[in-house]
Amino acid sequence: MLTYKKEPDKPSQVFKILNPLVERWFMSKFKELSLPQRYGVLEIHSRNNILISAPTGATKTLTGFMAILNELADSAQKGILEDRIYCIYISPLKALNYDIEHNLMEPLEEMEKIHGEELGIRVAVRTGDTTAAEKSRMLKKPPHILITTPESLGILLSSIKFRENLRGVQWVVVDEIHALAENKRGVHLSLSLERLEELSPHITRVGLSATIAPLEEIAGFLVGSKRPCKIVDVQFIKEMDLKVLSPVPDLIDVTQRDMHDKMYKLLHGLIQQHKTSLIFTNTRAGTERVVHFLKDKFPGKYVGNIGAHHGSLSKEHRHGIEKRLREGKLKVVVSSTSLELGIDIGYIDLVVLLGSPKSVARALQRVGRSGHQLHSTTKGRIIVLDRDDLVECSVLLKSAIEKKIDRIHIPKNCLDVLAQHIVGMAIDRDWTEKEMLDTIRQSYCFSELKRTEFEGVLSFLAGEYTSLEDRHVYARIRRKDGVIKRRGKLGRVIYMTNIGTIPDQSGVAVKVGKQKVGTIDEGFLERLRKRDVFVLGGDTYEFRYARGQVAHVEPTRHKPPTVPSWFSEMLPLSFDLANQIGHFRWMMEDMFRNGASKEEVMQFINNHVYVDENAASSIYKYFREQWDYKEVMPTEKTILVEHFKDEENNKMLFHTLYGRRVNDVLSRALAYGISKTTRKDVGVGINDNGFYVELGKKMEIMPAFKLLKSDELPELMKQAIDKTEVLKRRFRHCAGRALMILRNYMGRTKRVGRQQMSSHILLSAVKKISNDFPILAEARREVLEDQMDIDSAAEVLRRIESGEVEIKEIDTNLPTPFGMTLAYQGKIDILRMEDRQEFLKKVHQMLLAKINLQQARKNKR
Amino acid sequence: MDDNIEILGTCLYLKKEKALVIADLHIGYEEYLNKTGVLVPRFQFGETMEALDKLTDGRDFQTVIINGDLKHEFGSISRTEWRQTLRILDYLSEISEKIVLVKGNHDTILGPIAKRRNLKTVDEYQLGKYFFCHGHQMPEVIPSNSTLIIGHEHPAVGIRDGVRTEVFKCFIEGECEGRRIIVMPSSNPVVEGSNLLRDKILSPVLKGCELKEFKVYVVSDKIYDFGRVRDLL
Repeated sequence: MLTYKKEPDKPSQVFKILNPLVERWFMSKFKELSLPQRYGVLEIHSRNNILISAPTGATKTLTGFMAILNELADSAQKGILEDRIYCIYISPLKALNYDIEHNLMEPLEEMEKIHGEELGIRVAVRTGDTTAAEKSRMLKKPPHILITTPESLGILLSSIKFRENLRGVQWVVVDEIHALAENKRGVHLSLSLERLEELSPHITRVGLSATIAPLEEIAGFLVGSKRPCKIVDVQFIKEMDLKVLSPVPDLIDVTQRDMHDKMYKLLHGLIQQHKTSLIFTNTRAGTERVVHFLKDKFPGKYVGNIGAHHGSLSKEHRHGIEKRLREGKLKVVVSSTSLELGIDIGYIDLVVLLGSPKSVARALQRVGRSGHQLHSTTKGRIIVLDRDDLVECSVLLKSAIEKKIDRIHIPKNCLDVLAQHIVGMAIDRDWTEKEMLDTIRQSYCFSELKRTEFEGVLSFLAGEYTSLEDRHVYARIRRKDGVIKRRGKLGRVIYMTNIGTIPDQSGVAVKVGKQKVGTIDEGFLERLRKRDVFVLGGDTYEFRYARGQVAHVEPTRHKPPTVPSWFSEMLPLSFDLANQIGHFRWMMEDMFRNGASKEEVMQFINNHVYVDENAASSIYKYFREQWDYKEVMPTEKTILVEHFKDEENNKMLFHTLYGRRVNDVLSRALAYGISKTTRKDVGVGINDNGFYVELGKKMEIMPAFKLLKSDELPELMKQAIDKTEVLKRRFRHCAGRALMILRNYMGRTKRVGRQQMSSHILLSAVKKISNDFPILAEARREVLEDQMDIDSAAEVLRRIESGEVEIKEIDTNLPTPFGMTLAYQGKIDILRMEDRQEFLKKVHQMLLAKINLQQARKNKR
Repeated sequence: MDDNIEILGTCLYLKKEKALVIADLHIGYEEYLNKTGVLVPRFQFGETMEALDKLTDGRDFQTVIINGDLKHEFGSISRTEWRQTLRILDYLSEISEKIVLVKGNHDTILGPIAKRRNLKTVDEYQLGKYFFCHGHQMPEVIPSNSTLIIGHEHPAVGIRDGVRTEVFKCFIEGECEGRRIIVMPSSNPVVEGSNLLRDKILSPVLKGCELKEFKVYVVSDKIYDFGRVRDLL
């Protein structure tokens, strides 16, 4: 029952429902209704669920609130406004909450001015930062509009007193819903909304979203599995001026230094031509670097008018930057990803993306930050830094202009989030298992939850995995005769202080003395030994020692890295965009195969993707080189397997352009297949364009690759990730969400290091109980479905099985141009197939041999 | 190590003295984790008993020295934990003539348990040329020419080849300020230990020692002589 609303309502119809005061206020501020308003206001007024997808600054928020403010003002004037919550507004960001409060207070004050007296409509923000005094005020006199976050809503639902205020709420507005739907915060919210529905039946749900696809899925996420929803798609109402820029005519015949100089010159030029620019760099380290080099290369130009904005910076710093942006005091702001969401940042006339944003939706969300008024043009420039980046961004731009947006992934059946909510539900009241399951299945994220999975979680929460004698320690709920009840005096406190889905920052701080220089991943730290040298944020450091969650290092200049650098922050290329690139490659190959002239190919490039002359000739050259080398090209119809062997390398490069989430699956499945027969560890490396498997002496790889079958992939991968770092890490997060490891307990907060140690012990204990323990199963699901993309990987295998994609093999002693980056990049992981003891024996023998050799040398001397 | 010392799993056996040395059993570690809000199910006690059974292998000992941290304490002790600790002590007294309880930093209320079985607790203990203390504090006097044997550090090493690293418990042995020191790993099956190659040293006894020159004996299915710490770096 999801329906697209195709035609906007007539302005007169909308004005007809407006209270005269609200209409007068509106006309005093605006000339006319915006398109989103003409689509949305009447629906919200009529209590219809609705999803509105529009770019930032397209009056989305006012659309969401206009009918609600109208009703409240009307009731206030008539003197029938009750002391209760009418509307709950939820957004993923605390910062956005305060923004919205401001944006609601302003119209209300203006209306009161017109009206000549107070309306008495209350708006209040409730987040983790709300003080006890404010909370008790809210309890006594509930706000008419409550602004909150998904986490705080979760807490309110289970708080004894406030819960009563959540009865009879009429509207719930979910802002930036695209940013919530794709992760477990959204899954958590979807169940909270069902619990809210229990208290406020038939609540009207309003979703506000930036550019995203498919809208049907987002609408489903908003309203749950069975309710109707109208969808309004005004994503493309703003004019777009988008271009891909290359700093140099030729991206390969250029020195690092030259490239660097030209890139900053280009960037500087763009900034100077515009009033205020926003630059996205993808990584935090990149953000710092760009700020540094702009200041360094153009003395005097960037003093006091430039700012960095990313998640590692303090809240005060970020707020300061946002404030100065709004006041128009900054010429340029550099951000990693943190300014993607819709905090009001004032007037931006140019958005620059340094390097590929990896997905069409993300590109559109980012460039949508420019031209913040409805009728101004969105202006975005993507600066590419290498040839793969160029091809990727060119195709991305084409998709953006042609409105082909890649699909979002919404996590389903997350058993850890489910466990947390069941504890919450049991605290609220007693439930029969059946009615509890029915309520849970209303949520879009759990509509297909199996009864056995549900019962597995109940059994876990009831502590049934331990002996009867110990059960009182482990049980979070009481389960008897098909009825679920709460358990223990501490139950509520434990739940309230450990609610939420965002794991504690798991990054290990890297410090030189007391100065923090960055963060690395836990898994990376585990591999480090004293004196190892690694690259972080462009600088080289020597590892000294670790203490808890801090790695102490010293800067080095002349030592080469001893361990491969770390990529955990990198955004993955979306599967849909990857397929578009594969399609482009196929069309290019077709031209070369048919002997097209340079002019013809250039003509095609110019027609097909929207790039400048520099970029087009770079693309031509790149593809020409690939074709000329072996007359073979990886495309959407061909997976090229390159056996690359030289003095140092012996690798099988798989040109599988499907994004790293898919390649992560394919590479591990293959490595696992090989190592299962050889019992040896196999090294793998991946990027968005492919993966490689590193060979021992004699290994047959292709037979193992051909053995991979789409229908066997889930079982194979379950085994392949069993001993990996990623599983360990995700297990800790899942155990935290499922309240198996409490972050806050008895007034103490556990540091990440402690949580990590406990989770290692917990994981091995849980495995002894059952390999399908719900939380372990959920950690696996999260790794395979959320972090990796097992479904699309299976899709790739199906294409091979059906013959749609063929496999070609070649031997090289110098990698093909398309394989160059992959061939020389470091390994990301290893499949631990060799038995622990065998591994130890092997290293032991190697060490003995080394020591003997040293001894022999000494004796010689 | 020397002709008189045999490594039995995570324990030491002194041949001439017929003594078994065990360090850092940390009984009740899982209960401790439970009390901090981690719902780890309990396997430790069963596994500890099994491991002890295996490594003592029907032998009889003159002395069993528990070199600190027999019990992992945190606030109150449950009845189960009392029972388990007593059961281990009873088991050890069955296979030996005498039990020596050396106090560790986690043993602040070891006294009552020891009393139940008429055992005394000591801060340090001398047996032949061996001097035992837990290692959380520097002993005031150590008789010269004694070999110092400590626990507390829970030493382990990360064995690496290529991208793979596996952490194993180990003994380390070396000279420090003219004295021979042996550091024992934890005998708790749940606790992995701290990676010497990565983490900072805890014990004041080891401060200022040239740990790089210490010998490493890795504990796995058997004992592996891994040369010196510096060979692993």
